[in-house]
Amino acid sequence: MATPILSIEDLSKSFEGNQIFSSVSFSVDEGELSAIIGPNGAGKTTLFNLITGALVPDKGKIIFQGRNIVGMEPFDIVRLGMARAFQRTNIFPRMTVFENIVIAIITRLKGNLRFLKPWNSSKKIERQAFEILQSVGLADKADQQSGTLAHGNQKRLDIGVALALEPKLLLLDEPVAGMSPDERWETVELIKELWNKMNITMVFIEHDMDIVFGISQKVRVLCYKSLLAQGPPSEISANKQVIEAYLGEEV
Amino acid sequence: MDHMTSSSRTQWITGISVVVVLFVLPVFLNEFGRTGEYWIWVSTEMIIMALFAMSLNLILGFGGMVSFGHAAFFGVGAYTVALLTKKADFPLYLALAVAPITAAIAAAIVGWFCVRLLGLYFAILTLAFGQLLYMIVFQWYTFTGGDDGILGIPRPDIFGPTNFYWFCLVLFLLCFFVMRMIVSSSFGLSIKTTRENLERAKFIGINVKRYQLLNFVIAGAFAGLAGGMLAELNRFAQPDFLHWSESAEPILASLVGGMYSLAGPAIGSTVLIFLKIFLQQIHPSMVELWAIVLGAAILVVVLFAPSGLVGLYQNICKKFQS
Repeated sequence: MATPILSIEDLSKSFEGNQIFSSVSFSVDEGELSAIIGPNGAGKTTLFNLITGALVPDKGKIIFQGRNIVGMEPFDIVRLGMARAFQRTNIFPRMTVFENIVIAIITRLKGNLRFLKPWNSSKKIERQAFEILQSVGLADKADQQSGTLAHGNQKRLDIGVALALEPKLLLLDEPVAGMSPDERWETVELIKELWNKMNITMVFIEHDMDIVFGISQKVRVLCYKSLLAQGPPSEISANKQVIEAYLGEEV
Repeated sequence: MDHMTSSSRTQWITGISVVVVLFVLPVFLNEFGRTGEYWIWVSTEMIIMALFAMSLNLILGFGGMVSFGHAAFFGVGAYTVALLTKKADFPLYLALAVAPITAAIAAAIVGWFCVRLLGLYFAILTLAFGQLLYMIVFQWYTFTGGDDGILGIPRPDIFGPTNFYWFCLVLFLLCFFVMRMIVSSSFGLSIKTTRENLERAKFIGINVKRYQLLNFVIAGAFAGLAGGMLAELNRFAQPDFLHWSESAEPILASLVGGMYSLAGPAIGSTVLIFLKIFLQQIHPSMVELWAIVLGAAILVVVLFAPSGLVGLYQNICKKFQS
């Protein structure tokens, strides 16, 4: 049953002589909801940047759905079925919430090169956009300028934009960062629900251990330039190395 | 929704009234003899420069890219019309149809290099290419006439000042509607996403540079048509059409009129030309004050109406509604 959707093989990256990763390997199974944890500066976001093509690794392979995507442009990787939501909200601020979603749908359908037909003339796209807005709880804010949304809603919109791409693999970089405690759990529930409903493989980075151990099936720990451990939450929370290196002070 | 349709209805009513006034304007101006004829000429120039300003704003306002070399494509269009009508005996219509094509080719070559860079570096490279084209036109005496330019572009008999004004107005309106369609199309929305957030645009699957280049070429084509029209209006083409100071005019026009609306730059351009000529009419020596007046106007806009005259108008409307 478990075939990998993403395999990282022997990945290395350094910045100006600073080694960030040395020979990291792991694979993500299709349909999995997993977390990546690690101390600050462990390179979690850098790992996402490497996977999505924002950065090019010095060495190693990244196999997505059987294809080595190292060296491909981010927009081409997106078209293969990989989407991401960002740690810092990354939306189109002077466009409406609705437009933010619609442009993602249009791009997925490769409809960007229509020059003379109004973008809002397709009922089908409009319906899809509202479905997505409903699923992230923003349907009532469709006409609002997205830059004026509250922070939590901007993060939800960011996730919505990623969902509109109908990804096979969704990478979420600290999806609840900066949210109030109530919002956090609401969003975590949302993520879990979307995962259940949409048949997407999800990998998220998170600092909050309650969330990590609460919803993920598998946890990967990045530390000291490499993958320290991976396994189900119960195994990770009992792993001595992990406790020593990372959880030690907290648990 | 009712509010939306009523505001778009007022927009249509305003638009149609403006168009009607513009069509009737020369009939009215013709009553004033020589002065009237002069103002018809000025109005024609305003229409042409409005088209030029709107073409730049496809890159500036909708694409979020500052280009200091847009006059190069304006100039290429002007020289296309000048050379084709004067040296190859092309009819004006055909020459005007070729102008946007040659300008688009020039924009494709220049743009291919420029979109590789971002922000200030993009702006400086457009400036460099613009000045390069300017120098070529300035120096190539056997082909472009060098600093003399090309004089005596033939004028078809049917084009008296009034007819030519109407002809330019029709072309302008056609371009206006095509641009309107472009900015509200899927392509237009894609361009806006690259303006709003380059990184996110990339990560929804948009090949940002390709779209920026396409937009640059489209803007260049419209600028080329405007240049061709100006060459015909003046009946000459000169290297100054390509000079970087010419590139500044549509930028200032967009700033004054408002770059986040389609008509803003056209309005800004018209207002600035009117101010300049008004100053000239008070007393010829007043032109020397133009730089001060322009500076003051821009200062006022930047400080008190950062989204230009159109933004100011929208704000006033909102205040009245509430």
